[in-house]
Amino acid sequence: MSVAEKKARVIQPDSLIGKRIPKMDAPEKASGKTRYIHDINLSGQLHGKILRSERIHALIKSIDTSAAKALPGVHVVITAADVPDQRPIGVARDHFPLKVGRVRSERDEIAAVAAETEEIAEAALKLIKVVYEDLPVISNPEDAIKPGAALIHPEPHGADGSHEHLKQGTTIAHKGKPDNVAMTFDYAHGDVVRGEAESDVVLEDTFKLHYVTHCCMGVSGMIAEFDASGNLLMYSNTQVPFLHKREFAEYLNMDPARIRIIQPPIGGGFGSKLDIYPFEVICLYLARAAKRPVKMLFTREEEFLASPTRQPVLLTLRSGCKKDGTLTFRQVHTLHDNGAYTSWGATTPFVMMQTFSSLYRVPHCDYHTAAVYTNNPYAGSFRGYGNLQATFAIEQHMDMLAEKIGMDPLAFRLKNAQDAGETTGQGMSFKSCGFKDCLTTAATRSDYSRKVQENVANRDKPGNIKRGVGMASMLHVGGGAKIYPSDGCGTILKMDDFANVTLITGASEIGQGSETVLSQLVCEELGLPMSAITVVNNDTAITPWDVGVHASRTTFIAGNSAIGAAKKAKTKILAVAAKKYDCAESDLDLRGGFVIKAGSGEVVVELSKLLRNLHFQDKAELVMTTFYYEPPSVHQDKGFKGDVSAAYAWGTQVVEVEVDTDTGTVRMTKVTGAHDVGRVLNRLGIEGQIEGGVVMGQGYALTEDLMIENGVMKNPNFRDYKLVTAPEIPEMDISFIESMDGEGPQGAKGVGEAPSICIAAATANAIANATGVRMFELPFTPERVYRTLHGQTPKLYWKPWKAE
Amino acid sequence: MNELKHYLAPTSLDQAVECLKDGDVTILAGGTDLTPQSQAGRVKIKHTLMNIRHIPQLSGITLEGKEIRIGTLATITEIMAHPLVRQHLPVLVDACNHFASDQIRNAATLGGNICNASPAGDTLIPLLVLDASVELASMPEAKLYRHSMPLSTFFVGPGKTRRSLCELVTCVRIPLPAEGHVARFHKLGTRPALDISTISIGIAGTLKEGILSNVRVAFGAVAPTPVRASQTEKALEGQRLDEATIEKAAAVARDEVKPIDDVRASAWYRKEMIHNITKRILSHVAQA
Ligand SMILES: Cc1cc2nc3c(=O)[nH]c(=O)nc-3n(C[C@H](O)[C@H](O)[C@H](O)COP(=O)(O)OP(=O)(O)OC[C@H]3O[C@@H](n4cnc5c(N)ncnc54)[C@H](O)[C@@H]3O)c2cc1C
Repeated sequence: MSVAEKKARVIQPDSLIGKRIPKMDAPEKASGKTRYIHDINLSGQLHGKILRSERIHALIKSIDTSAAKALPGVHVVITAADVPDQRPIGVARDHFPLKVGRVRSERDEIAAVAAETEEIAEAALKLIKVVYEDLPVISNPEDAIKPGAALIHPEPHGADGSHEHLKQGTTIAHKGKPDNVAMTFDYAHGDVVRGEAESDVVLEDTFKLHYVTHCCMGVSGMIAEFDASGNLLMYSNTQVPFLHKREFAEYLNMDPARIRIIQPPIGGGFGSKLDIYPFEVICLYLARAAKRPVKMLFTREEEFLASPTRQPVLLTLRSGCKKDGTLTFRQVHTLHDNGAYTSWGATTPFVMMQTFSSLYRVPHCDYHTAAVYTNNPYAGSFRGYGNLQATFAIEQHMDMLAEKIGMDPLAFRLKNAQDAGETTGQGMSFKSCGFKDCLTTAATRSDYSRKVQENVANRDKPGNIKRGVGMASMLHVGGGAKIYPSDGCGTILKMDDFANVTLITGASEIGQGSETVLSQLVCEELGLPMSAITVVNNDTAITPWDVGVHASRTTFIAGNSAIGAAKKAKTKILAVAAKKYDCAESDLDLRGGFVIKAGSGEVVVELSKLLRNLHFQDKAELVMTTFYYEPPSVHQDKGFKGDVSAAYAWGTQVVEVEVDTDTGTVRMTKVTGAHDVGRVLNRLGIEGQIEGGVVMGQGYALTEDLMIENGVMKNPNFRDYKLVTAPEIPEMDISFIESMDGEGPQGAKGVGEAPSICIAAATANAIANATGVRMFELPFTPERVYRTLHGQTPKLYWKPWKAE
Repeated sequence: MNELKHYLAPTSLDQAVECLKDGDVTILAGGTDLTPQSQAGRVKIKHTLMNIRHIPQLSGITLEGKEIRIGTLATITEIMAHPLVRQHLPVLVDACNHFASDQIRNAATLGGNICNASPAGDTLIPLLVLDASVELASMPEAKLYRHSMPLSTFFVGPGKTRRSLCELVTCVRIPLPAEGHVARFHKLGTRPALDISTISIGIAGTLKEGILSNVRVAFGAVAPTPVRASQTEKALEGQRLDEATIEKAAAVARDEVKPIDDVRASAWYRKEMIHNITKRILSHVAQA
């Protein structure tokens, strides 16, 4: 090619935004090459196993580990007595990793073994003898708050007297609790008494939400190793490495600076890896005691028994409206089954109260939660974080109120839906808001209003199959959530001599596709193809700080951070090019791997060549930039008010079902969704996110049920815990409302949790549309539906109760 | 813990039954029951694990006189695809179509389903209404000995059969259905695939001019074993399949079964479903 021809070359404008881009890790995963924690083995590594309680609630009278210790191949056996510096863990610090004197639930950890092989460790567990003294079991949260109920964390803690070395601290684990109330939340805006007085219609109903669990295909695991200087290296599945560095340091009484966390690719998170669980701390104790790396992996049964669950909730909602369809008030009381210990599940009211206060215009709202201790499994965070539970109640009441005043349910919703520019009673300010577009798009595309009428008309015709259609909407944070001192994320961006970019981001990839979308945003800024980027995102010793993967925040926060770093690199590159080619920076741009003339697209210089020139000269320089993005959101005040997220996401889903009245089987035939996502970045990624979320919501609505009876899990396996399988997945029609959020990266908002939220609520409305019968309790298994259709389900009622 | 010491993979039936003599042997076919059960500690693998998959005499699906012979090693996938079965025993194909998932069907054998003797075993219900018999082989002396028994007498309890420890199931024989033979199967679970029956129902008989005779009714997951429902059969035998007969048979069926409550369903729901599905099947037969 002659010089003249090369100069004439023009690069046409192109954009990666909105394209269907395969996930960068897909080839590795599809070909089985991804190395999960299961595939990692360190030399000299031992295998750790945990002995769990044989009782639900009991005093531990004695533990004899002598036979286990004597087994050849066993390196260490530990119980609480062997770890005198144990610190309580968990959100309320009410939990010792190795139980001291008392077990409170089926999963409770009593002892742990590190041995040469898993088999030896298993065999050693069987040799440990524990003597218990049973205590009364509380498995119903309503019993836990009865006067005189047995206490789960009585004061003073323990009964064995062998832990005098534990100073009386301020935590529940040390000083116990005079009642079974773990946490309370009280929120209000407006005046519900006035709201009720202004109402023409008032409804009060109780809703019951059940236990489900994440069912990550990759079971939980950890590898821990202390080096010769006492520094700790962990291979961990955590979703929040930087927060956990600090927390692990507290539990181990060591300097956080000496802890490094590497995150191998994980087989599912969904919120389950947001807290530190006993097994992780126990694995560290074992590694410390054995002076060898220790690997601990759950069995599938353990994964069921000892993973967190979604928060089960008993909820009474009182709400009202005027004849003209204006909502007047909502009053909510919930009883959260906290289980034996406190994890994030107890704090789901943070999200639930937002939904009650701000999903539709609610002039008056009063919200109360008591999370109470029982001997059941404890709940953690789970995609949607209480929003599925809140939406289940609200959206059923929306249909029921509309029916009472004889208004079309869509018109009723549209009347109360907010517009951009509104601020809710809780202080959430909607800078972009596609709520009404979501409602009308989902309704139009599904032919909702016609079908509602038609199904009602067909209800009493002969035949056992009844069709129904139901709608529900959701509001969720879409621009992070300012819960910690910072909701930010850091980026380091480095360009090499070949114009390849290394994006070093604090944001963790947990299968959601963040590395792909972040790469896309960077390549878009720098005019590079996706093949020109490498992402480093899994090592706290390398990556800059990030608060973690939660609250649907990564694309928004880490995306803005990545764009910030890319913009700085671009500015530097263009400045260099402008100087070299003697033109204004604004006349230049980056496109297709070249510096081009902004107006014509004519090539000025190959980007890699420019970078090499910059590098290999007297005043050698590299293009390396850093950026830290902190969203312009605020912390809530003491009354839980404030604009906690930089943006809010909306969605409406219409679910269609066929109910077989002979069997109670509900078949989900179609889901029509419209989601305000700000802007579609990776279309393939966002479709996958929505489809997966719908299926997760479907499981919550129809099949998944972690059955707990007197504290005992009845179905810790995939035979009896029923995930949705491929043939049941409904047809999906998904639309995206692009409200172009001003703060969002390229206009985008978070969508990670959104698609699961409405499904159960919309399904309940669809069943009611099909049969005329309302379901107040999940899941809608054939038997529960059949019973309810045949009048065999007594009406649920929980009298609102508030902890003093 | 398992006591496994030896692994054997005989290549002839004689070798296999010879090995079975001492009784301390666990038989392995597809392993889709044995593996999860032994891992969960519900079944102990004995001293010797004997893989029977290399014994040619145990495979194949053939027509032998007036009977179809299905070798114990026939997999669910093979059964579903076989022309003889598709032509003469569509009810068995139907049951296989609701069995597990493709991956499991490729490994799971008919003999394994029978010997596992689960009350919810999906092939057992159609086999019962098709009057199937099982053939067992052993070597009491130095010679191979075979005998058959009707499947309806084979099951004793959950996981328990009349097979003695030194016997091997070799095949199932099913009489060729006569003209006018109708047979139906229905499996009810919470999802269409990969599910264990909440209840299952098989109904067969000869339908001539609206009259049902030679009636066979069998129910799964309502008793410790798959069961024939003699009273329901009586209520239908020689009757015209009209609405009154159907309603009566469905009511008899509901009263006849004595299911239990478990994680899959309550006894009450199971009885209701026996009634509703019996009625549904009979109505379909009457309309066909
Ligand atoms: C995920 C999953 C889903 C399933 N779904 C279904 C379902 O939908 N319906 C259903 O009915 N079952 C289901 N099963 C159970 C199982 O697949 C079947 O029972 C299958 O037919 C067993 O056959 P197998 O060859 O794998 O038996 P194996 O596991 O090899 O053997 C089962 C038992 O029979 C004994 N045995 C096997 N062959 C002989 C023989 N010839 N003589 C004497 N004893 C013998 C074995 O010793 C063992 O005790 C499922 C299993 C799994 C793991």
